[in-house]
Amino acid sequence: MTHHDRTLLPPGGGMNRRTLLKGLGVAAATPALAACSGGGGGAASEGSNTITMMYNGDATQQKAFKALFAEFGKVNSKIKLVAQGIPAASWAAFSNTVATRIAGGQVPDIIQIATEGQRLFASKGLLTPLEPFIEKDRALVDGYLADIDPNLKKWNTEYASPDGKTYYMPGGYNTMALYAREDLFEKAGVDLPDKDWTWDDFRAAGERIKSKTGAFLVPAASGYFTDVMPWLTTNGASTFDEQWATPTFDSPEAVEAAEFVRGLVEDGLAPKPGGTYDAPTQMKQGKLATLGGGRWPTLNMRDLDMVDAVRIVDWPTKTQNGSPVGWDAWPITKASKNKEAAWEFIKFLISKDAGRFYAESGGTIVPARRSVAGSSAFTDDAPAGSLLLREAISYATPIPSPDRGAECQKVIEEAWLTIVSGNGAAADVLGSANDKLAALV
Amino acid sequence: MTTAASVSTVPRTSAATTGGPATNRWVGLAFVSPALVLFLVFIGGPFVFAIVLSLYSWDLLTPAEFVGAGNFRTLFSDPLLGKVLTNTFLFAIASVVTHVVGALLLALAVNRAMNRAVSYFVRTAFFFPFLISWSAVALLFKYVLDPTFGLVSHYLGVVGISAPDWFTDPHWALPAIIGIDWWHTIGFTFVIMLAGLQTVPTHLQDAARTDGANAWQVFWHVTVPLMSPTLFFATIITFIGAFQIFDPMQIITQGGPDNATKTIVMYLYEQGFQSFQIGYASAVAVLVFVVIMLVTVVQFLLSRVWVHEQ
Repeated sequence: MTHHDRTLLPPGGGMNRRTLLKGLGVAAATPALAACSGGGGGAASEGSNTITMMYNGDATQQKAFKALFAEFGKVNSKIKLVAQGIPAASWAAFSNTVATRIAGGQVPDIIQIATEGQRLFASKGLLTPLEPFIEKDRALVDGYLADIDPNLKKWNTEYASPDGKTYYMPGGYNTMALYAREDLFEKAGVDLPDKDWTWDDFRAAGERIKSKTGAFLVPAASGYFTDVMPWLTTNGASTFDEQWATPTFDSPEAVEAAEFVRGLVEDGLAPKPGGTYDAPTQMKQGKLATLGGGRWPTLNMRDLDMVDAVRIVDWPTKTQNGSPVGWDAWPITKASKNKEAAWEFIKFLISKDAGRFYAESGGTIVPARRSVAGSSAFTDDAPAGSLLLREAISYATPIPSPDRGAECQKVIEEAWLTIVSGNGAAADVLGSANDKLAALV
Repeated sequence: MTTAASVSTVPRTSAATTGGPATNRWVGLAFVSPALVLFLVFIGGPFVFAIVLSLYSWDLLTPAEFVGAGNFRTLFSDPLLGKVLTNTFLFAIASVVTHVVGALLLALAVNRAMNRAVSYFVRTAFFFPFLISWSAVALLFKYVLDPTFGLVSHYLGVVGISAPDWFTDPHWALPAIIGIDWWHTIGFTFVIMLAGLQTVPTHLQDAARTDGANAWQVFWHVTVPLMSPTLFFATIITFIGAFQIFDPMQIITQGGPDNATKTIVMYLYEQGFQSFQIGYASAVAVLVFVVIMLVTVVQFLLSRVWVHEQ
């Protein structure tokens, strides 16, 4: 599918014209569909006590997961876990990759599914109801559900159960906050509040930081979860209504949010989007005052030896506290031949020990159990203010994820990028994007 | 005598060792069978499968449903189809013109008498980017053309020019990717041109000069006609490769901004593996096949007018 295909042909001509036509023409028509054939990697055979699972993670995340899986092997030596990490760029992309593999015959026993894919997978009849398993281990599950945020329990039914059955055990989550480099605020003579600061306060701080230190205030990218939703939710807006049935991306509040971010770029407080901006490195070099993130930038801070130099603060607000929230969930596939073993693994995942171990070994999420998220396992070797990530779930908005979530995400991100890069008026661009979203739901 | 004797012994020896024409056929088939199997599994089979799938509605996860020509009807009324085909043809035509002309000029320059070491260095330098993967090239240029920190923006700023937002401005995104593609793949076309140039008999050019032709006349009336098979080959190959362009758009712009860099193969991918409309994506694949076939046939027909066989 690229110009590399040219190397398949001998240079200098000499090929029979008919052959050339046939070969190249046929090759042209077949690019993606060969991938539809599958094979291997599917659910383990019955009675083998081997379970397979797919999870999302880059190299760093896979390291923490592998440590967790090794821990499971220690406490459940009779069950062999075969885990496949998929380093997808987004949760929507991960869901697409998993769906493609399932179509190719690779149906795992367990899949890590984030909010972006939960409703889709449940609605396709791919998952087995968990009620029989929950009933069997009622005390354990009740203890777990009592320890997680009530919102998480509520949303697991509201957004991931199209027919009222329980298909998932909710796992850890991520909200959004700002990682702020304290010395830049100090140099600029700006007090860095933990919370209760407004967009205007934020902007004023940015102007002082820019003039005193030359550093940018914040990146202005177009990631749906990381860059769009924090600004929308802190102005009482979102991309869809609560049922994810009607797009609201062109609301006056959303337009105001987009214009605010564009203003940051226009005034040089945020770098222009469209290139490659390594925010953690820029922050390390003293060229960036804040960056947005959930738990995952904590790992960058550790790698860059900046844990003590930054503080996590709430996202500045316009009308209200706001943050998106997305959470992992663990289902068992209907095709699984080892559902009991798969349930054993899920029980392990929701245990306090596993939560603690994963948090300590470099997990990139806020542990679902409040007791773990409030413990030293989560706060040690982490920036001050890390608990704000846990508290944000109380006011956060579940990341709207309709069935055609990947397409919606693309529309949203493109529109946002168009606005913040100055290539379209916010009202027009969001209006057009909203129409596209309406067509997708 | 010697020649005649040699010729007469060849068929006899061949028949004796292979057992006659029937055996020859099986031996021949045995030799081509690995390639044939690979072709059937990876090209022929998927090709037929794609045609069949184009008649179905299938989301990968639930059973497929036969829709006949429904996908094609939807395709030809798709408001985005015109846009992605326009982008693709613009990219392909720009790619053909800039590659063929650019590579020919580079080949002419390198083919001139110059120090041998310098000549080899220049050839290697031109070809080297072609060896780098598209992923690396795409990421490299995201740095180079970064609107805030990129080298190009910096140096344009030094001379007082405000650099455009290469990848977020709908007017600049496609030209930027055409330029990146040129840098990345010109080396391949350059090597083809250089090889073609070196097959042009110098005595014909000398004869033309002796007859009083100037440099341009020698180039236009002798070199170009004699290179026309090479130019034709380069044109065909460049067009087919360019028409299937996918990687840089996917990595750098994801088809944006405002679909300005969305090509037909990218659209196929999105429909198949983001929208899960596999049948529809197959219909797009069939369209890609037909378009490339038609354009190639037209090129072959036109070649009768301008390609001179030696």
